[in-house]
Amino acid sequence: MEFVKRLQKSIEKHADNNVLCIGNTFFTYQDFAQEISKIRSEVSKKIPESEKLIGLVTNDDLQTYASIVALWFEGKAYVPVNPATPIERNTKVFELTDTKYVLDSSDSTVYKDFEVIASKTISETEVNLKPKEVKGDQLAYILFTSGTTGLPKGVPITFDNVNALVGAIDAEPEFNLVPTDRCLQMFELTFDFSVVTYLFPLLAGSCIYTIPKGAIKYFYIFKLIKEQKLTVLTMVPSIINYLRPYFAEINAPDVRYCSFGGGALHNDIAKEWSDCLPNCKIFNYYGPTEFTVYSGFYPYHKETDTKNHNGVIAIGTPQKDTQYLVVNEQNEEVSLNTTGELCLAGPQITPGYWKNEERNLQSFFVRNENGKEIRYYKTGDLCFKDEDGDFLYAGRADFQVKIRGYRVELAEIEFHAKAKSKKKVNMVAIDITNNLGNAELGLAIESEDFDTEDIFTHMKSKMPNYMIPMHVRFIKEFPHSINGKIDRKKLRTYFDINK
Amino acid sequence: MNKEEIVSKVKEAFVKVLEHDNFELKDETTANDVDGWESITHMMLITEVEKTFNIKFKLMDLMNMNNVGDLIKTIESEL
Repeated sequence: MEFVKRLQKSIEKHADNNVLCIGNTFFTYQDFAQEISKIRSEVSKKIPESEKLIGLVTNDDLQTYASIVALWFEGKAYVPVNPATPIERNTKVFELTDTKYVLDSSDSTVYKDFEVIASKTISETEVNLKPKEVKGDQLAYILFTSGTTGLPKGVPITFDNVNALVGAIDAEPEFNLVPTDRCLQMFELTFDFSVVTYLFPLLAGSCIYTIPKGAIKYFYIFKLIKEQKLTVLTMVPSIINYLRPYFAEINAPDVRYCSFGGGALHNDIAKEWSDCLPNCKIFNYYGPTEFTVYSGFYPYHKETDTKNHNGVIAIGTPQKDTQYLVVNEQNEEVSLNTTGELCLAGPQITPGYWKNEERNLQSFFVRNENGKEIRYYKTGDLCFKDEDGDFLYAGRADFQVKIRGYRVELAEIEFHAKAKSKKKVNMVAIDITNNLGNAELGLAIESEDFDTEDIFTHMKSKMPNYMIPMHVRFIKEFPHSINGKIDRKKLRTYFDINK
Repeated sequence: MNKEEIVSKVKEAFVKVLEHDNFELKDETTANDVDGWESITHMMLITEVEKTFNIKFKLMDLMNMNNVGDLIKTIESEL
């Protein structure tokens, strides 16, 4: 497996470089090699060859990162669980994947019903970084996301999938990490975005800076930018929403790249953030977990490249070997500038949800193109393609709601609500079901109370009556999911319209 | 304003934001020791404390604020 061999070479070649900075402690690639060797030796001693899915408790330490590489060198997949998540849910994840063995660097483990390898207390061994042979269709990791039925939904990713991701990013001339780069890793290892924030630095011999558990993320990130002079940032847009009141105090000339993903990047804040990073290229990445993190990007530039729809920056074009297709409800391709559901095909596509045939039938389809059967994943994201071949994000398929029979795009309401507001605050439009079972529109505003008359006057001048929110709630801080996205479900509970 | 007065006003601000008073504020108290004090409520706590004392924190101060002691010290320096 090419990317695994490249990992080996990079770890050997950059032995004297720092690989990780965890809570102000630096570790070298040599330390990393030692730790990987210890863990894989224990894995090969204790776990039968046939056991391929291995649980991993995601602590913020050297052993946890070394465990991922050790498992890959042993031809196995990691099934990460966050120690902060209730144990019932984590146990459910292990049960769903028939995981029997768990790597845990905690001082004492809570996984009593599993065979636990305590990765912190393994004795020294000789360094061994030679990867075992793996087949491309073997799994590299499985991540779980919340499922609509309440049962977590597993997304398995193969070694071939990861290899294709690495190949696609390599093919991109605008993004090249070097051994002197200092890269932010702000994500939980149970969130797929983390794969690019540890894997790409490891392949380049760069140093990864993590965020201690329990730290206030946005301030810690600023501290790392300021004190450690980070050069590469990979973030969800909600982080810069928090830092926005302090943008005037931020000037980070060392940052070379800033990649966004995992949520809509808005034009106004992108411009202001860009002013804080005078020497930085900004990438707006797009991609679902089901397609191995990234499927493509738009290269944002505050003066020359600001293409957006309703204030949301374009997601640009698909990367190498990936195909985008925008379809209607019959899975037929729609014409240019017509909004439909974005579907993805190519070597990064997951083999399908873990043991979930019903869901797989809904989310994947095969299309005959020039005599070839091409398998597509339906993202649930609404997009359209413009004349330049750029794709623009138009909202979630499930954020499109019907109000009195009309189809309404919630993103559009948000755009008009924000457009003329004197207060630059976050606003989210949301559909609420009333006593009659009909959807009504609400507008959640992340702020102390203020007069919204001018906002409504503007909205009424731009949108038909049925699109004007009937309910307004001021919420001091929006609820966020663990991955930093706005939790719309929780937000909806603020609208007690049926009382 | 002496330190006790500052601590007591900070506690009031915390109670208002977190909606419980099931905590003690000592110098070494961190977010891990207080229920509900995390990334999202942190920003609300900062805003509430700023309002209470009529001060405005600098980002440089906020990034080095690791416990309640740091918070009190920063307030003292701003008053």
